[in-house]
Amino acid sequence: MLLFLIASGMSIVMGLMGIVNLAHGALYMVGAYVGWTIAVHYGLNFGLAVFLGGLSAGLVGLIMERGFLRRLYKQPNEQVLLTFGFVYIVTNICIWVWGGGPRLSFTAPALSGLIYLGDISYPITRVVITIAGIVLAIVLWWVQDKTRFGAMVRAGMDDKEMTMGLGINLERVSMFIFFLAAFIAGVAGVIGAQLLGAYSWLGIEILLFALIVVIIGGMGSVQGALLGAILIGVIDAFGKALFPEFSMFTMYLVMIIILMVRPSGLLGRRV
Amino acid sequence: MGTARLKEAIKQPWREQLIRFAPYIVGGVILVLLPAVLPLYLQSIWTKFVIFAIFAMSYDLIYGHTGLLSLGHAAYFGAGGYAVAVLMFHYGIDLLWISVPLGILIAALTAAIFGFVALRVSGMSFLLITFALGQLLYSIAWNVKWLSKPGMQGIAGLSRPELGIPGFSWSTISFYYFVLVIFLICFFLIYRITNSPFGYALRGIREDEPRMRSLGYNTWLHKYIVFIISGAFAGLAGALFVYHNNMIVPAHLAVGTSFLPMVMVIIGGSGTLLGPVIGAMVVVFVEYFASLFTPERWPLILGGIFVIAIMFARGGISIHLSRLWNRISYRYGSIKS
Repeated sequence: MLLFLIASGMSIVMGLMGIVNLAHGALYMVGAYVGWTIAVHYGLNFGLAVFLGGLSAGLVGLIMERGFLRRLYKQPNEQVLLTFGFVYIVTNICIWVWGGGPRLSFTAPALSGLIYLGDISYPITRVVITIAGIVLAIVLWWVQDKTRFGAMVRAGMDDKEMTMGLGINLERVSMFIFFLAAFIAGVAGVIGAQLLGAYSWLGIEILLFALIVVIIGGMGSVQGALLGAILIGVIDAFGKALFPEFSMFTMYLVMIIILMVRPSGLLGRRV
Repeated sequence: MGTARLKEAIKQPWREQLIRFAPYIVGGVILVLLPAVLPLYLQSIWTKFVIFAIFAMSYDLIYGHTGLLSLGHAAYFGAGGYAVAVLMFHYGIDLLWISVPLGILIAALTAAIFGFVALRVSGMSFLLITFALGQLLYSIAWNVKWLSKPGMQGIAGLSRPELGIPGFSWSTISFYYFVLVIFLICFFLIYRITNSPFGYALRGIREDEPRMRSLGYNTWLHKYIVFIISGAFAGLAGALFVYHNNMIVPAHLAVGTSFLPMVMVIIGGSGTLLGPVIGAMVVVFVEYFASLFTPERWPLILGGIFVIAIMFARGGISIHLSRLWNRISYRYGSIKS
């Protein structure tokens, strides 16, 4: 589910703006570090950490979109390369601010303890992450398919010029979407820090997971990201259990097979 | 510069010829003479620059000329490097004439397999898949014990190649000239490739692939072949890099290394012959100066340069240099170009 949290934001941006935000993992990392600082270093409320982590990642995303990406309108290649430049910049600034040492994963006091379902016990943290993922999926699906804003977004995906011609301020829409995606990445970072901690190569690692999920699920669809995340989560878990030596490769193998059969992903829009 | 224009240029009086080819001559003289008088450490930096120039040129073949945005080019660089390193480490083969061709072959083979998967899609998906495949190779190199020296990730303590000439031993400068000769051969080969009908077809694919397809070109095959060729050159660069660096680590297969030729090509100017070389020079020497002052901030500087280059210096340095050169030659040589 954490995978879904990460991948959904990326998938939205990809679909709407037609660009791959390679800095998505870096934004996640910003969220993780900020969340760690607030929740562990200052010992403040976990909810506050989630909010501020999301907000800081969102702001970084906003700067990227307003200051740089918007000026390269209709040049997708340059935009993608630009986001990759930002991976380096953001990562290095994080190391500058927080130092190179890894931060251990932590558990918020409110979320510690176990939950019992019959005979099996789960840590509450994981249950909360799963619930958060499901809620996010439902909200995103609802916004995208049922609201006026979602209709604007989908119209923008299909035909930018026409949508703008109808008097919709697509610039503002895409700015908001980019902020939202970055915000989700930041929130995912704070939540994910409970399981993974925070470290300096997080940006690339998370990016890779998100990419594989999005490739498998198909770009620009929330449902695709959800399906891809579940699939990868299950495959990864089984892979680790069945052939631990090759657990890293099972994911890639699935990705390659799916690509050979359906190049646009399982639930992708036609590219 | 097309072959036709080259022939036309040769017919011109010698003075104008001199002016037209002066940049190449100046560049060549610098490449040949300057390292000989540099201190030892700078010689080795200079060698690194020439190796990365080969790497960047190979990337420019697929990005600049064909318009395929790949984010996993280090895979072939590293594959070539690992082939050479494994041969030396496990089998004790350090004869240049065996290991370098084998390195190129392995890199080309990797490119052939990856290209087969990646070229099923285009645009953004292509970028993502090359990225994922590169990371796949990275995780293989990280996890498979056979590809590492015991107690570390990667293989260290390698030496320069054996030439098979008795009584010959390497020095920094002789290794530089060896790399330079290979660089010049690559430069010439890539010049020939990009100016062949094949090269023109590639540029056609970059500009408008559906049109090329409707003209009867098998665009998939063109892309596939250039992908393999590019992989082979990258593998050669990787093999040389192992000889230069004396070690290889899994990170040489990963995205950080893929990023370098990308930066070089974009800074220098994509789709040109000299651009990647100039870009490699800028990146390697800025890295050197950065490492003197703030080694930790180097990725920040690299990312910053990259962003600035994309935002403000579209077309790269080589475009501006060649414009400047045209103005000079117009004034002094009265040729219009």
